[in-house]
Amino acid sequence: MLELKNISFRTPESDDGAQSPSGRTIIHDLSFTFESGVFCAITGPNGSGKTTLAKLIMGINELTSGKIIFNGSDISKLAIHERSNVGIVYGFQHPARFKGTTFRDLLSIAAGTDDEEKLAKIISRVGVCSLAFLDKRVDSKLSGGEIKKIELATVIAKNPKVAIYDEPDTGIDLWTIGPMVELLKREQKENKTTTIVVSHNKAFLEAADTLLLIRDGKIGYSGDLAGAVPILEDLSVCAFNELCHGEVNAQCYR
Amino acid sequence: MLNAIDKQVLKEVAGLEGIPKGAYNIRKNGKLLGREVSANITIETNEKGDGIIIDIKPGTVNESVHIPVILSQAGLHDTVHNTFIVGEGSDVTIIAGCGIHCGGKESEGHSGIHEFQIKAGAKVKYVEKHIAIGEGTGRRILNPTTKVFMAENAQVEMELTQLGGVDEARRFNEAKIGAGSVLLITERVMTDGNQMAESRNEIELAGTDSKTNIVSRSVIKGNSSQDFYVNLTASARCYGHIECDAIIMDNGRNQTVPALRALHPDAELTHEASIGKIANDQLMKLMSLGLDYDAAVNRIIQGFLR
Ligand SMILES: Nc1ncnc2c1ncn2[C@@H]1O[C@H](COP(=O)(O)OP(=O)(O)O)[C@@H](O)[C@H]1O
Ligand SMILES: [Mg+2]
Repeated sequence: MLELKNISFRTPESDDGAQSPSGRTIIHDLSFTFESGVFCAITGPNGSGKTTLAKLIMGINELTSGKIIFNGSDISKLAIHERSNVGIVYGFQHPARFKGTTFRDLLSIAAGTDDEEKLAKIISRVGVCSLAFLDKRVDSKLSGGEIKKIELATVIAKNPKVAIYDEPDTGIDLWTIGPMVELLKREQKENKTTTIVVSHNKAFLEAADTLLLIRDGKIGYSGDLAGAVPILEDLSVCAFNELCHGEVNAQCYR
Repeated sequence: MLNAIDKQVLKEVAGLEGIPKGAYNIRKNGKLLGREVSANITIETNEKGDGIIIDIKPGTVNESVHIPVILSQAGLHDTVHNTFIVGEGSDVTIIAGCGIHCGGKESEGHSGIHEFQIKAGAKVKYVEKHIAIGEGTGRRILNPTTKVFMAENAQVEMELTQLGGVDEARRFNEAKIGAGSVLLITERVMTDGNQMAESRNEIELAGTDSKTNIVSRSVIKGNSSQDFYVNLTASARCYGHIECDAIIMDNGRNQTVPALRALHPDAELTHEASIGKIANDQLMKLMSLGLDYDAAVNRIIQGFLR
């Protein structure tokens, strides 16, 4: 069980000077409990604070206030690697690109072994990327879709108790989305992985047991998809929302 | 013939456990320690007696030459002029490198001047590693020079590595690349403490459709400094790229000065250069996979210098 208790995040002071001399609050006094083994989709407009929330759970962003309790113990003060080693792993929305470091390096760090056979097993379990990826450099030459597949595989390789995937479908071709959803469902079932997916994609929203809608750093809705549909339609959750402001007759890019 | 220190140096410089297979020439403290030739590769002392001539017969394939240098005598500053003649259509690996073992207060140094005449269609992989070890306080100085002259349709890949222990390094690389020839240079240097390393490169794309890719990877720790200069000149239709990346840790200092000169309208030259600390997103990623901060830094540096 992962409990968020009244968590807030305020950006560090004087980051962008004039506009916000005292920092800006991105997450406002948010409380939520992820039951163990649940598949939860987090959605909400761009800039609503989904990534910030995920990074607070991973420890990449430091809580301004509140507590995070994981299976009964307070992890609010743990460093990133300590949270990782108790079982929380985050797949980045914009994965880091390295110089020289390969997929094999990342996978063996995550799996805690560089045994070829074991790595091959993980790749076949993940399915969405081929064995030929293993010696690819995780650098700026990778396509957006390739790096997202690698990111996903590294999270799974760590065998997390809680896996958080931040928009895992960006850049992924249409034909891979289905298998990706299946994979996360299978990981949830077989390993009891608490699965949290930040996404706007219908396929993930439909796969989830429960849905969390973030709006302006607060929970706008939590519950099943059916209950969320009217709100989602009203928000017309769309990457270009800021351009068309949800206008009905605006020519949507999607 | 080899003592424990020699063995350790050979292992670090050339990956050798004892005496190598194939042709070799081992130089220790300015003197010949051992030499072996093969049917296709001859090694002779030059006329002046200040170096060797390595002659590789045309068509020699899948052979290697090891020419490591061991320096373990306090106060010695050894200079050597070696010439490599690589025959037409051959495909060989040359493992060079110098290891200094410093046991005392006096400085020790080696200046290796290597000249390569690469004949048409020849393919060479040149691996050069520099290290310095030992508990002595004397400065360890390595000033390598390589001059590469490539005829047509040849290919040379140079891996130049210095990963620690050397107090002063002044490198000079010069190359003239003939028509259809390709030169790939990768230089990896890590400095720490008060060490300094400087690399100057004068590369000319001289022939039509010649190509080069010059990669420099620097890690600068402690109070050390590294400077990298490259002048890439194009005098024909050609393609050239320079990629320099420096990671600064602690109080390291770096200058990276890539220069491109096109003297021909069909020259295509590009460069990328970056200097900075280890990227935060890379650290976050490795930490989110369970590595603590120091381990994450090490893995990133390891990959970077690979
Ligand atoms: N460290 C930070 N400093 C300043 N602003 C930030 C920081 N992190 C996030 N933000 C801002 O917080 C808001 C929420 O961002 P984010 O969590 O990435 O949104 P989402 O993932 O929902 O699209 C955005 O307006 C973003 O610009
Ligand atoms: Mg986001």
